[in-house]
Amino acid sequence: MKVRAIGLQDFRNVAGARLEFEGRLQFLVGANGQGKTNLLEAVGFITALRSFRSNDQSSLVRHGEREGAIACDIEHETEGASNLRVNFKPGTKEAWLDGTKVTRLAEVIGRFPTVVFSSQDQQLVRGSPGDRRRWLDLTLSATDREYLKALQAYHRALADRNALLKRSGSDAELEAFERVMADQGMVLIERRREALAELAIGLTERYAMIADHAETAGFAYAPQVAAPDGAALLAKFAGGRARDRILKSTGSGPHRDDFDFLLHEKPAKEFASEGQQRALVLSLRLAQAAWFRSRSKIEPVLLADDVLGELDPSRRERFWSAIPADSQVIATGTVPPDAALGEWQVFQVANGLFAPATPPPPVASR
Amino acid sequence: MTPSLENLQHALKKLPGLGYRSAERVALHLLLEKPESLPALVEALQSAAAAVRRCDRCGHLAEDDLCAICQDEKREPSVVCVVENVPDVVALERSGAYRGSYHVLHGKLSPLQGIGPDQLNLSSFKTRLEAGAIDEVILALSNDVEGEATCHFLTSEIIPMGGQIKVTRIGFGLPSGGGVLYADSVTLKSALEGRRGYA
Repeated sequence: MKVRAIGLQDFRNVAGARLEFEGRLQFLVGANGQGKTNLLEAVGFITALRSFRSNDQSSLVRHGEREGAIACDIEHETEGASNLRVNFKPGTKEAWLDGTKVTRLAEVIGRFPTVVFSSQDQQLVRGSPGDRRRWLDLTLSATDREYLKALQAYHRALADRNALLKRSGSDAELEAFERVMADQGMVLIERRREALAELAIGLTERYAMIADHAETAGFAYAPQVAAPDGAALLAKFAGGRARDRILKSTGSGPHRDDFDFLLHEKPAKEFASEGQQRALVLSLRLAQAAWFRSRSKIEPVLLADDVLGELDPSRRERFWSAIPADSQVIATGTVPPDAALGEWQVFQVANGLFAPATPPPPVASR
Repeated sequence: MTPSLENLQHALKKLPGLGYRSAERVALHLLLEKPESLPALVEALQSAAAAVRRCDRCGHLAEDDLCAICQDEKREPSVVCVVENVPDVVALERSGAYRGSYHVLHGKLSPLQGIGPDQLNLSSFKTRLEAGAIDEVILALSNDVEGEATCHFLTSEIIPMGGQIKVTRIGFGLPSGGGVLYADSVTLKSALEGRRGYA
């Protein structure tokens, strides 16, 4: 898939903008705080109709405005030329696909895949379990409708169980919802296990390319129950009731799952150096993009938010060689990109305004 | 607007499907355009309110102790189809495919909305089951989290264990006359899981 044009209206610090993209490499250059990441955020939004930066929708609309919008022209492997528009309204959002309002937003989720490379990505390795879970849930939901459905049902049943805990519901009522949680939870655990095993293969391959080290990379996923066994998960919920009644919330279950990144069989959180962790998350994003492609046959658009500047020149070159030759890349940075990386279409970003850089694109060496 | 008209409009606005404007329209219609129809409407409301009640056995709407379905001798009383609400009975009856009896729960377990077993029509269901005249229970509750949880609750707490009573869940899958092409993946999966022997 390729993004051919994007329009923003009252989105973050952008009052109004429309950018037409030609070719497969776009670069947004400008000082910090000018709106580069906001544009990437808008492109990334079309994948899951969620922001990769924030869960708070009201912060997406420009300060002082009530409504905002994103509109994308997309060239798509299976849908052909498409137009997706997202309108942000107070407390809600709506999507329009080719001029028709989308009644069930879940139908759009995952159809327009993008993968974001962000300087915050190292949080995935060393941050909280919630960060990793959010990434895994988003990645899986985007390619797997059944996973999304199971995730929504699981969380609904979890909210019901927590409501029961708060008003001291009977064991029989708790069990009724625990059974739903166990059914849906097993789907979550199995799909997570499967996906992490597949992603680990891609991760190792790409880590070898970027770090120039033949080290095995992977994940240690320790779900709540070792074997894929609904009865064991059900017993776990039942066993936690006494504690959960006191805490008035459900202390264990797939909603508390976590995994570790492994490098050379050891937890990367503790044993990997800063540079190794950085190479690891870049590899993760590339592996994620490849996984998307193999599952959905759609080439994701890669959004690189200020990650190039952090790499030394030899790693940067290896990173570029690991990117599939026909992927669209939209990147940001404070200095113009290396000419050696290809023909970039460059936009200057200042104070929420985007201007095509006057040709020929400025070439600077660092 | 007079105070009485406003009062009427407020009362009408509380009805499902009526907003501020339509309540105003109905009120004006009743009072100005068709005042002659008013006594008949009042009479109908009053007599319905006095006559319509819940069936003692199944919870469906009735005017006697038992509803028309429970009174019908041609229906099979040993098969009970459990549904959430009265409109579900109406829909199943319209299909004409079912000749057994019903049990209306008047809701489903929903802790988030404060609905527990005490709010459901369970005691008369227990009485029916304990009387021993039931061979099969068909669970026709909705296919969502609360519907599933209610089915679990019924099978573990209300319907006696031991295999005397056959318990079935209504099928979920492709709509009749619908092809495979336009079904979403989750519906297709449940249709495949619920497939049955053929020929």
